[in-house]
Amino acid sequence: MQSFAYANPATVQEALALLAPTWGEADVLAGGTDLLSLMKEHLHTPKRVVNIKNIKELEGIQKTADGIRIGALVTMDELAKNADIKAAAKSLSDAAAAIPSPQIRHMGTVGGDLCQRPRCWYYRQGFGLLAMKDGKSLVPDGANQYHAIFGGGPAYFVSPSSLGPALVALGAKIKLVSAKGPREVAAASFFLVPQNDTSREIALHPDEILTEIVVPAGAVRSSTYEVRQKEALDWPLATASVVLHMRGNVVASAKVVMGHVAAKPWDSADAAKAIAGKAITAETAEAAGKAAVAGAQPLSQNAYKVTLARVAVKRALLEAAKQKA
Amino acid sequence: MDRATEQQIPGNRPSAFGKIKIAGKKDGTITAWQSDTWATGGFAGGGQPPLPYVYTNIPNTRLNHVSVSVNAGPAQAWRAPNNQQASFLTCSAIEDFAAKVGVDPMVVFNKNADYTPRAEQYRYQLQKAAEISEWSKLWKPRGSQTGPVRRGLGIGVNAWGGAGHACTARTTINPDGSVLLEMGTQDLGTGTRTIMTQVAAETLGLQMSQIKLAIGDNSLPPGGSSGGSTTVGGASSATRKSGVNALAKLFEAVAPALNVQPEDLEAVDGTVRVKADTKKSMTWVAACKKIGPGGKISETGANEQRNPMGLNSGGAAGVQVADVSVDTETGLVKINRYVAVQDCGLIINPRLAESQIYGAIIMGISTALYEERIMDDATGRMMNSDMEFYKLAGIKDIGDIVVHLDIREVNDKRGVIGLGEPPAVGICAAVGNAVANAIGVRVPKMPMTPMHVLDALEGRNA
Repeated sequence: MQSFAYANPATVQEALALLAPTWGEADVLAGGTDLLSLMKEHLHTPKRVVNIKNIKELEGIQKTADGIRIGALVTMDELAKNADIKAAAKSLSDAAAAIPSPQIRHMGTVGGDLCQRPRCWYYRQGFGLLAMKDGKSLVPDGANQYHAIFGGGPAYFVSPSSLGPALVALGAKIKLVSAKGPREVAAASFFLVPQNDTSREIALHPDEILTEIVVPAGAVRSSTYEVRQKEALDWPLATASVVLHMRGNVVASAKVVMGHVAAKPWDSADAAKAIAGKAITAETAEAAGKAAVAGAQPLSQNAYKVTLARVAVKRALLEAAKQKA
Repeated sequence: MDRATEQQIPGNRPSAFGKIKIAGKKDGTITAWQSDTWATGGFAGGGQPPLPYVYTNIPNTRLNHVSVSVNAGPAQAWRAPNNQQASFLTCSAIEDFAAKVGVDPMVVFNKNADYTPRAEQYRYQLQKAAEISEWSKLWKPRGSQTGPVRRGLGIGVNAWGGAGHACTARTTINPDGSVLLEMGTQDLGTGTRTIMTQVAAETLGLQMSQIKLAIGDNSLPPGGSSGGSTTVGGASSATRKSGVNALAKLFEAVAPALNVQPEDLEAVDGTVRVKADTKKSMTWVAACKKIGPGGKISETGANEQRNPMGLNSGGAAGVQVADVSVDTETGLVKINRYVAVQDCGLIINPRLAESQIYGAIIMGISTALYEERIMDDATGRMMNSDMEFYKLAGIKDIGDIVVHLDIREVNDKRGVIGLGEPPAVGICAAVGNAVANAIGVRVPKMPMTPMHVLDALEGRNA
């Protein structure tokens, strides 16, 4: 690990003054479950590490007029156990609870989940975010069993965020602040698909801090279904988060967002359309699952993930349908 | 070295690929075997699986094998190198044959047991494994289930040498009654310290707490390397012999005081006493005083591989049954129960022996479901060398493990046999067969990941 200066600001304003306008100067430390690995592998070599864990204003979950405000420092464990979240956004609660290992749930934060770097093994071994060699990505003909089945490149990594698909489906807002002031982006716009090795996969700027998330209020049924091989310490192979606005027993409108299948949470309008106006049954859920993966472009080794994504959508819908309105 | 480096540089488990044809009768009797296999031991060759495995005496066999050299590290021992592969290939072929002729595989493994080196042993163990796994209640013919989650049972068998390696122990008895046992061996965590102390205590008629043990130093009498499951046989035999030799010297010192010949004496329960008249006795401490001040008894004992004198032998056998549930929509395999019936001759410490088997099964389930060196063709790199991507079974992934030690007089009489490797051999075989039984399709690749299971179910096995 490269030497670095360590800063302990107590307010967001102090923290912002310690950041820099370009990437590579400073990194923000919260739970540290990803940043420390990145630094040990020399993938991130910040000159300064800005610890934000002492900033009280970034903590806590509160109901507000806009919905539910979740501070960036809320841990996955707090999020999973919060009664307001369970009641209003079960899909988000499910997603946090499914993160394996109590250690990660207790250390990992909401902000960190959204800002963590991809787990693509080419990226982690130093081949760059897009694993480009001689102008061509190594992934399509390489070891791609865990890679993207949507998007068609050049970014073939999958977004590692556990909360991303649920937040996109719920229509959450993400608040970012820089020395110039705060701004707000929709969760769907927060995740980006980079076109080159030097750009980032999220909308956060290097001089910004993610401060909070706001989940809108509203009577919805929601669920997240995750396919993961191991019970502990493992990444999902595919997930689906669904949000249903019901009219009686019929779906008035839906959002279906898949995770770990593309460089960003993958919103399927086709799946939502397939289920709209219908009651959720094994058949309609299956049809929505099929619609969700109709445009999939699997690589040489990951055709199985198309099945997993389809099944995750089906099972998430069936799970959401069981909930009381 | 960090974990990733450690995974990248030391070499590989030998890998194998095979195509097997079995001929047999409708009642499940096997009459012929043909195998074409390819295996690699890295750049240096090797890695040939011994086929047919356990069922070695199948008549009418034809075996074609090609050793493939690849640009990778050498083959390394991984708890029964080549045997796991051989067991998987053989047991898969037998299970597939059983399914083809429509006979319960438990019957087929049993019916053909005469082809194994110890038919009685395997028959007994198959019966025991069937009982514990509730085979007759839970087993259903291959592919007969419906619904997304299907349960399956499968059999794996193992065999191993495990005769004791050459090594030397030294037992020293001091005039104050203290005892020192020494050997330049090591304890891998398998209980070598415990069994050496236990054997010495029993030999000298003392409590284990009265034996001081010294190992792990090159200045001590030579131990052997820990490999091939040969440590327990060697260390226990050498300990026993050095104890017997030291005791004979002690009896020589004590016999005049009790007015008998040395060979009339025995050491039991902390005393040295006359065998024919056990009331004529001395405490251990009083007996050791007869050595005389400043003196000591120090005797070595060696295990010779070619002449173990009945203290150890080779040839462990085991039968295992995996009970799994497979989600056919996701390809996820979960272990419900794993039953292991295992013999290893005379068992010195049943709790340690059981513990060895639990460890072997946890490791084997990890092999069967998760572990894999994922190599990238484009870069020649191992992509999953760190512990984030190299998957290992955790406590919630291993199911309920049931161990039955095959302790019977017939096995006791064979002496001590090593146990480290044999119970780790048949796990890919048992899990693979259980998956095939559940889903009706053979998954031809290990480990049984969702990718490999779904590829098999959806016909992507070109």
